[in-house]
Parts: sequence; structure tokens; C-alpha cells
Amino acid sequence: MAAGVAAWLPFARAAAIGWMPVASAPMPVPPKDKRRAKDGLIVLNVSGTKFQTWRNTLERYPDTLLGSTERDFFYHEESNEYFFDRDPDIFRHILNFYRTGKLHYPRHECISAYDEELAFFGIIPEIIGDCCYEEYKDRRRENQERIQDDEEIDQSNDMVQQDMTFRESMWRAFENPHTSTMALVFYYVTGFFIAVSVLANVVETVPCGTAPNRVKEVSCGERYALAFFCLDTACVMIFTVEYLLRLLAAPSRYKFVKSVMSIIDVVAIMPYYIGLVMTDNEDVSGAFVTLRVFRVFRIFKFSRHSAGLRILGYTLKSCASELGFLLFSLTMAIIIFATVMFYAEKGSSGSKFTSIPAAFWYTIVTMTTLGYGDMVPKTIIGKIFGSICSLSGVLVIALPVPVIVSNFSRIYHQSQRAEKRRAQKKTRLARIRAVKSGGANAYLQYKRNGLLIDADEEAGQALVCKTNPTFDIQHHHLLHCLEKTTNHEFVDEKTYEESCMEVSMVKQTSRSSSISSSPHGLTCCSRRKRKSFNVPNSNMSVGLQGSVQELSTIQIRERPISNSRSSLNAKFEETVPLNCDQPYITAAVISMPTPPVTTPEGDESASSTDYSQANIVRVSAL
Amino acid sequence: MSTPSKRTQWREDLQHLRKEHGFSKKVLLNCCLVRRIITWASPNPKDSVEDELELSAVRHRPEGLEQLEAQTRFSRKELQILYRGFKNECPSGVVNEDTFKDIYAQFFPQGDASTYAHFLFNAFDTDHNGSVSFEDFVMGLSILLRGTVQEKLNWAFNLYDINKDGYITKEEMLDIMKAIYDMMGKCTYPVLKEETPRQHVEIFFQKMDKNKDGVVTIDEFIDCCQNDENIMRSMHLFENVI
Repeated sequence: MAAGVAAWLPFARAAAIGWMPVASAPMPVPPKDKRRAKDGLIVLNVSGTKFQTWRNTLERYPDTLLGSTERDFFYHEESNEYFFDRDPDIFRHILNFYRTGKLHYPRHECISAYDEELAFFGIIPEIIGDCCYEEYKDRRRENQERIQDDEEIDQSNDMVQQDMTFRESMWRAFENPHTSTMALVFYYVTGFFIAVSVLANVVETVPCGTAPNRVKEVSCGERYALAFFCLDTACVMIFTVEYLLRLLAAPSRYKFVKSVMSIIDVVAIMPYYIGLVMTDNEDVSGAFVTLRVFRVFRIFKFSRHSAGLRILGYTLKSCASELGFLLFSLTMAIIIFATVMFYAEKGSSGSKFTSIPAAFWYTIVTMTTLGYGDMVPKTIIGKIFGSICSLSGVLVIALPVPVIVSNFSRIYHQSQRAEKRRAQKKTRLARIRAVKSGGANAYLQYKRNGLLIDADEEAGQALVCKTNPTFDIQHHHLLHCLEKTTNHEFVDEKTYEESCMEVSMVKQTSRSSSISSSPHGLTCCSRRKRKSFNVPNSNMSVGLQGSVQELSTIQIRERPISNSRSSLNAKFEETVPLNCDQPYITAAVISMPTPPVTTPEGDESASSTDYSQANIVRVSAL
Repeated sequence: MSTPSKRTQWREDLQHLRKEHGFSKKVLLNCCLVRRIITWASPNPKDSVEDELELSAVRHRPEGLEQLEAQTRFSRKELQILYRGFKNECPSGVVNEDTFKDIYAQFFPQGDASTYAHFLFNAFDTDHNGSVSFEDFVMGLSILLRGTVQEKLNWAFNLYDINKDGYITKEEMLDIMKAIYDMMGKCTYPVLKEETPRQHVEIFFQKMDKNKDGVVTIDEFIDCCQNDENIMRSMHLFENVI
């Protein structure tokens, strides 16, 4: 119900008095009106921009944030107003919705920002007014496609090799040749052979000079029959192998067999096999020659290699209705004009317009402005109608063409956008990765700095103050809590990779390369204590925690001095602004089974956390 | 096309031109032909302007707040709230019957409220000028929400008496009843039958028509309602709606 109409509810209820005298049963008790006559102005301060409205206006929609008691959470006593830390420009539209009952979507706003604001204020986007609904839906769809594309690319890039079976990896190689070099090689080889095959088909028919014992000129195909046959065989072999491999690798064989590309493949190689089967039969050799025509379909195999060709095909498919209309209107016009021309030219002697179907040819040639000149009208009336025919031909063809062109342009731009996004994605990912690693490194550095505090109070504190504002400190504390909770630690990539390689050598996987299992508090002094344990315990714990530990201790000893704290610190000097979620993501490394570390072990505090050497050997399984 | 006066004017012009400049008749005729074609082709702009004026003239400003306060039993604040809602839905200041029907229909989506809205409109439109202004609206509401029981019953009688002759006949009552049942729509439990409104009218007349003359007068109506507890109670139902 529109907001304005809601204001008429009192009227509707009052008008119900008209039913009372005729009512056959007693009326129900009216609902209690809790708040009444308090129609004051409400001040809504949205990031400094003050909006004022009546209380009743907001309460028209009690299931939204502003209309319900939820807004009390945002009440600011000192200034006696409701403060929202949101975008005032978008808020204007939201408030207008309360006022007029119609929600509009401003075209210049970002769709996701708008959606977020709507979600915050508890307004469902479906009530956007008709004037803006289409635009909103279009933008939303575009955005979804963009996100979907990104996700697909993510998935295809992040799929770990060993998770896929050989069949799946082969299919992936076929579909995305850029994933592996083998696939790329295969892609180019097939492309080359398609080109060679098509070229051979073409050259076969070129006249090649006379053969030694013949008078007539022969085509190259007949002259070098054997060579062409060998070439054809080779190509067909390659195509057959490719088809069979694709069939083997396809996740859904039935769907693959039904798809257009596979049909093209089959049609491209069938003529050869059919030719093999019935070479010597004279009767069907005529049909055999016709079959060779189908070899030209091999050129369609190029559509796997060219995106533009695929787009063209897709456009034609999506413009099927316009093409159908074009065809229909052309047919109508052809029949009309052919009939007229036939009867107009019936009288003239020696006219080529022998029948209406014969006149079809003239009409088509004229309407498409070809004008071969093999059939021309000779009578005056024929010429008049002929000219009308050619004029109308231009119009009829010109009308649906822009629709097809705009469709093609839209699809083409869409694919261009996808390509651009893919290219940008790489740089974007690189940027994200840099930030993530920066964040994680900040935490790692903080841990080292935290130790610095016990080691060297003043210097450490100075360093801490410089690089760790309050937010960072609290964030690091949080990460530390998480480490404590999971009994794992965050490490940097290098260490992780190395430990990964070592772990792969180890037979035993039961013992986790676990961590600062000592349930120490976060105070500096406890760290100090732990630190002092580290070195001696590294030897002790070997026996306790198994071979993995052993390796890690070995690792510690082997680590060169260059990996000292100072150098690492120098490397991580830049403090990248932290994003809360990222350290979790980067540090989510190998998920090794971690048995709960019991306190006796804890006391001996795993040797792993040997901060002093800035080698965080432990991996954290988040 | 051109009015007779215009045609004579042209004729005079023509003759004048012929005499003065020695134009041949043929040339002048052709010229006139062209002008005629032009006037025929271009539509008369006068009508559309008049239409526009008419539309914009329908704009009503209500009497002052003080007068309305005096005439109705609403407080100043209540009048303000009512007017704001009214103006929001009808920016021109008056409601015509179609808008009225639309608004009322929105409250009863399952059924057809147009007939009852028509009767309501006539009840509100006290001066019968085809549109309900804010004053009419507020007066009606004042009676319905703040009036005495007598006034409310009077208003209800006025609603039922479609031709405003002081008597409610069975046909009038049947119309009203059908309108009310129409608002229920199709999907009811128990299912609405054809004769339900008629039966209801019979019951009503049995109750109200004391002297059994087939019509209900205002006195019969008020007497009867005042003796009926249910009706009395229901009259006070919507008192605190505003």
C-alpha cells in the first residue's frame, strides 16, 4: 500500500461506521493504539547532513529500520537526534520512499552501494518503482555477471591439481588451453592441422597444368592424388584422435555428443571414412564426391580457436527472431513483386519472366540491389514496378539489420569486458596478495617486536610505537588469541613452503608441527620465559614430538644467518594497512591434523617458535 | 477550417492584391490554396490551450485552519495531520470519484469496493458537486469520529438513503447490502450465495421497520438503533482512530 494511502486508513475505519447498523454480529474490539498524538519532527543526521521528517512518516513502514524501534539504537542523546554513519546521498532516496511510497534508483550510484544501503535500512529492493525498476535490474544483472565471471576464473585458477582426476584435468586442458603448456601445444597443433586441411581442400581444385599423358588440364588434386590423400589421412587422424579424447574427457558424454562443436567435428571427419568404405563402387562415387563438400565444415572447427567466431554464432542465435522477421518480410515482398513483374512482363515478347518462380530470381537480385542484368523488364509498367521493387528492397533489408548489429555489439562488448576483467584480475589479485602478505607480515613482525619488548625494552617500545597504532595492537592481540585457540601459528610463505617440502618427506603425519603450545599469557615476561626455554627444548622435544619436530629443529639449525631478524625486519618495514580478514586467508596453509596439545607438552614449549631466529617454522592450520 | 469571416477577409485581400499589383487570378488562387492547405494541415491550437487551462483550474485550497477548527471537533494538530495525508494523495486538493474509489479499493483487495465507495462518495460529497474537498472530508470524519451517537446514526441513514428522500426502501437497502458483500470478494467461508444480501435485507427490515410499511424512516431507524446494544457499542468503536 502506498504511503499516502496509509494516511487514509483512519478515513476507511471511520467509514466502517456505515456497516454498523446492518451488522449481524457484534464487532471485534479495536486494537489498542499505543502511541498517539505524538507527531513530532524527527531529526535524522546522516553523516552530517540533517534530514527532518515527521515521526508518522517514518512509521508508515514499521518493518524497516527507521520505522521500528530499531532506530532507537542510533539515537544520540547529546544532540537529540538520530545519527547514522551512512551515505547521505543515497539516504535521500530512502527517505523519499517514506514520504512518497515510491523507491527510486539513482542512475549514477553504484549498484552494490545502493543495495547495501537498502539492506541496512531494511528495505527490500523489490518495491522499487516501475520508473526505475528496469534500470536497477539491468545493473544488478551486470554486476552479478561480473562477480560470476570472477568466481569462475577464481575457481578455474585455484583448483588444486591433485584434486582432479586425470579425466577432469584433460577436460580442463581442452576447454582452457592456457592452463598448461601441453594443452597449449595441442591447441596450436589442431589449429594448424585445421588450416592445413582446409587449404588442401581448396588447392585440390586448382588447375595444375597438364599431365604428361593428358590433353586436358587437370586439377592439382588429381595430379598429386597420393600426396593429397596422405595429407587428408593425417589430418583426419589428428581430428579423430582429438574427438575421441574429448569424448573420453567430457564430464557428460551425452551432453558433449549433443553439442554443436562435436557435431561439426563428426561431420568434418565422416566423409573420409565413408570414402574409405566405398571407394570402388561406381554408382555411389557421385554421392561420394558430394560428400567431399562436407569437408569444408572443418573450417567451423576454428570457432574453438576464435572467440569472435563464437560471438558471431551466438549473436545469430540470439537474433533468431529478428532474422526470422527479416526472412518473412522478404519472402512476402518477393512473392508480391514477382507476381506483379510476371504479369507486367507477360505481354512482351522474348521476356525471360517465364513464370512467377522464374521472376523470384529477378526480385531477389533487384531487392538486394545486386542487379545482375540477366533478367530485365522491357515494358514500361515492368520498369516502373521494377524500380519500386528495388527501392523497397533497400528499406526492407535495412530495417532489421540495426537490431542485429546492436545485439552483436552488445554481446561483443560484453565479451570484451570479460576479457578486460580477466586481464585486470591478474593485476588486481597481485595487488590483493601484496596487501594480504603485508598484513600477515605486519603481524609476524609484531610478534617479533613483541619479543623485542622483553629483550630490549626501550628500543622495542620505540619500534612498536612507530609501527603499531592502537588498531593494529588490538588486531594483533586478536590474532594472537586465535593462535592460542588453535594451537597453531601464523607463518610467512617461505617458511611454509619449506616446511611443506619437509613434511612431504616425513612418513609420520600424526604429530603436528605445533606451536607455542605453552599456555602462556600475553605478557612480555612470559615470552621471555618461553624464549629462554626455546633453545634447550629444541633438543629435548625432539624425542617427544617425533620426527617432524626433528626436522624442524634441524631446520632451525640449518637456517643461515642471513635470515636474521634484522634483515627480515628490513624487508617488512613497510606497514601495509591491515584488513582484518586477510591474515587469516594467507595463513591458511596446510591443514595438518593437530592433536590437542596437552599441558605437559605445553610446558616444555615446543621448540618451533624460535622467534629469535625469526624462523617461524610452524604452520598454522586455520 | 476557416470561419466565414476569414473567408470574406481573404476575398477582400485577394481583390485588393489583384487591383494593386496586377497579379493574375490564377497566381492568387494558388496562393490561397497553399494557405488553405496549411491551415487544414496544422491543428487549431486554441483547443489544447483551453483544455490545459481547464485542468489547472481544478485546484482547491481549503478554508483556514481556524475556521475548520471551529466547524469540526478536531484539534489543530489533528487537522494538520489529516490535511497532510489528504494533500499527499490528492495534490490538487479535491478528490474525484475515481480517485476515491481507487483509494478505498486499496483497503479491500480481495473484493470489489467500487460500489460501496460510490455510496460513500455521495455521503461525503454533501454539496453534490462531484468532488470531495478537504472541508467535506473533514466534516464527514468529524461526525463519524467525534460526533454524538445521534449524529452518527444520522450519517448512516444518509448513507443508506441513496436518493436522499428521507426513506430507505428495500431496493436501496439491497443495493447497499450488495455493495457491502461485494467488498468481501469471492473467496469467503461459508461461500456467498446469491440470496444472502436479500436475506440480510429482510432481517434488517424486520428489525427496523416498525410499522411495516416497507420503508424505514429516520425516526424508526434511530429508535431501533438506540435500543440495540450491539449497535450502540459499535458506534463507539472508532473513536480514537485519529
